[in-house]
Amino acid sequence: MSEHHVVVENLVKTYPGAATPSVDHVSFALPKGEMLALLGPSGCGKTTILRMIAGLIEPTSGAIQLNGREISQTPVHKRNMGMVFQAYALFPHMTVAGNVAFGLEMRGVPNSERGPKVQRALDMVKLGHLGDRRVTQLSGGQQQRCAIARSLVIEPELLLLDEPLSNLDAKLRDEMRDEIREIQSRTGVTAIFVTHDQDEALSMADRLAVMSAGRIEQIGTPREIFDAPANEFVAGFIGAGNFLSGRVTAPGQAEIEGLGPLRFAAPASVGSRVQLMVRPHRFKLAAPGPNAFTGQVESLVYRGQILTLAITVGGRRLTADLHTHAGTLPAKGDTVTLAVAPGDVTFLSEAAA
Amino acid sequence: MSGAAAPAQQMTGSNRYMLLILLVPGLLALMTTFLLPMVWLARASFSTSSMSAFGGGVTLEHYHAALTDPFYWKVAMNTLSLGVTVSFFAVILSYPIALFLTRSTSRWRGVLTALAVAPLLTSAVVRTYGWMVILGDRGVINSTLQSLSLTTDPVRLSNNTFGATVALVEILMPYAILAMLAGFGRLNPQLEEAASMLGASKLRVFWRIILPLSLPGILTGALLVFVLAISAFVTPRLMGGGRVFVLGTEVFQEATVTLNWPLAAALSVVLLALFSSVIVIYQRALRRLEA
Repeated sequence: MSEHHVVVENLVKTYPGAATPSVDHVSFALPKGEMLALLGPSGCGKTTILRMIAGLIEPTSGAIQLNGREISQTPVHKRNMGMVFQAYALFPHMTVAGNVAFGLEMRGVPNSERGPKVQRALDMVKLGHLGDRRVTQLSGGQQQRCAIARSLVIEPELLLLDEPLSNLDAKLRDEMRDEIREIQSRTGVTAIFVTHDQDEALSMADRLAVMSAGRIEQIGTPREIFDAPANEFVAGFIGAGNFLSGRVTAPGQAEIEGLGPLRFAAPASVGSRVQLMVRPHRFKLAAPGPNAFTGQVESLVYRGQILTLAITVGGRRLTADLHTHAGTLPAKGDTVTLAVAPGDVTFLSEAAA
Repeated sequence: MSGAAAPAQQMTGSNRYMLLILLVPGLLALMTTFLLPMVWLARASFSTSSMSAFGGGVTLEHYHAALTDPFYWKVAMNTLSLGVTVSFFAVILSYPIALFLTRSTSRWRGVLTALAVAPLLTSAVVRTYGWMVILGDRGVINSTLQSLSLTTDPVRLSNNTFGATVALVEILMPYAILAMLAGFGRLNPQLEEAASMLGASKLRVFWRIILPLSLPGILTGALLVFVLAISAFVTPRLMGGGRVFVLGTEVFQEATVTLNWPLAAALSVVLLALFSSVIVIYQRALRRLEA
């Protein structure tokens, strides 16, 4: 018995005929009411994990517990989980209200209680006036809302969302992102969602698990993942970064090939090789000095609030995101100096030389 | 409706000519092979001369004969009941096959689909003879039964409506399967997954999701088999051994044996009118179902 609501332990899925497992000894635990994002490139096994929790795929080995009860042998229709599918999977031969009522009907909820429950669920997703419509008459965003209402009306133990926003256009996506988050915290339902979009994961999840090749590379809060990535893969997948490798010459200082000395705030033994990273937004325009690199502006992209520029220093490219309110902006071909504070240098790994 | 009309309105003049030119060969072919014979048939049904369509005067006597003779009413009822029985069994037997082929993810699916419709490669005549060999008085089934001393006299399996029905069901099944495969477009494994996530058992997934969504395909298959069964001539004739009277065999009888072409034509027109109305009503119902 654990205090966690959902516990996944050593979950493995190897498809018949496959040389390597699609999901390789994945473990995580989720307290009640938390929202977890499984984030990773396509083919990393995130959807497979979600479908194993749902019961749609049988795990090769491992345990899945819900409320302290082992459920990996429980059939799908008895797991009491809500699922929002990527393409929504609304029943085309039923009305909006019919879709939402389906789960209640399967649970034998009497007709008299069904109506008000369906109405409340539809009101929650702002579809209260569209209950009689056919689902084929709904717009993409409305179908999404209908799918959410349908999965929540049954008061599931766990809500699963499979790439819930990928079928929506950019503007609607931002709107639904906030709305899903809002509904999830209001209902207090524990949720797991799968996405390949880092912005989505960072903004929606309480915690995220970054995956690659069937394994979880790092699990933590958005801030932990972004500011203290466990390795190069996580650092590269979440946000952009300037990766710098070098040799430690003195405590807190490394000699970077082509760049020169760089100070950083992490313990590393002198003589070892380190992998460091500087996020583009950590660079500031400055006068030449320590921890500053001078080079010619090679490319410029003006993006409203942010100016992304790349300079070449000693045959190496450094990218920086500068706030556009920072006075005069450099132009292409200008010589500029980018500086970073030692505390803003991310330490990734250390290896003996 | 308005959505479909919109692109046509935007069509420019030269596009419309192009469309017309593309339509001409097909329209000509249809005119000569379908429309003209139909006109000929209609005219022949009013003819006073027994062997030529356009010779002789105009009379309604053949329609009178066709519509007042109780024998032809009985034939019409036979035809209708044969059509209904055959489409019922063909649909019941084809549905699981079509459903399996649609839902299968096996790499043999293409091969299996080809196998399911492979009987279409042989003519209905050949397959009817095949059924005569199986169901005949000295056929496979009867000789087996007799050699096992289970029966002494042959069991009547052919030269009757039963034989015609069995053969027609088997011969028309590939059409039912093809029509169903085409009509199962709304089936989607994710809908079944969504239903089971919402608490539906396998059986309820079938009744509430798979069956309603495959209904258009089932009904299209049933209609196709019905149309082919009521217009069938060779199989009822050969399997019925002259004892099964349906409109197809009667038209043949009047045209080639009695040589009463106007009556044959009148019967054909009645058959056509009767069953076109069935099809129209059916399709209207089908459209309402899909809307």
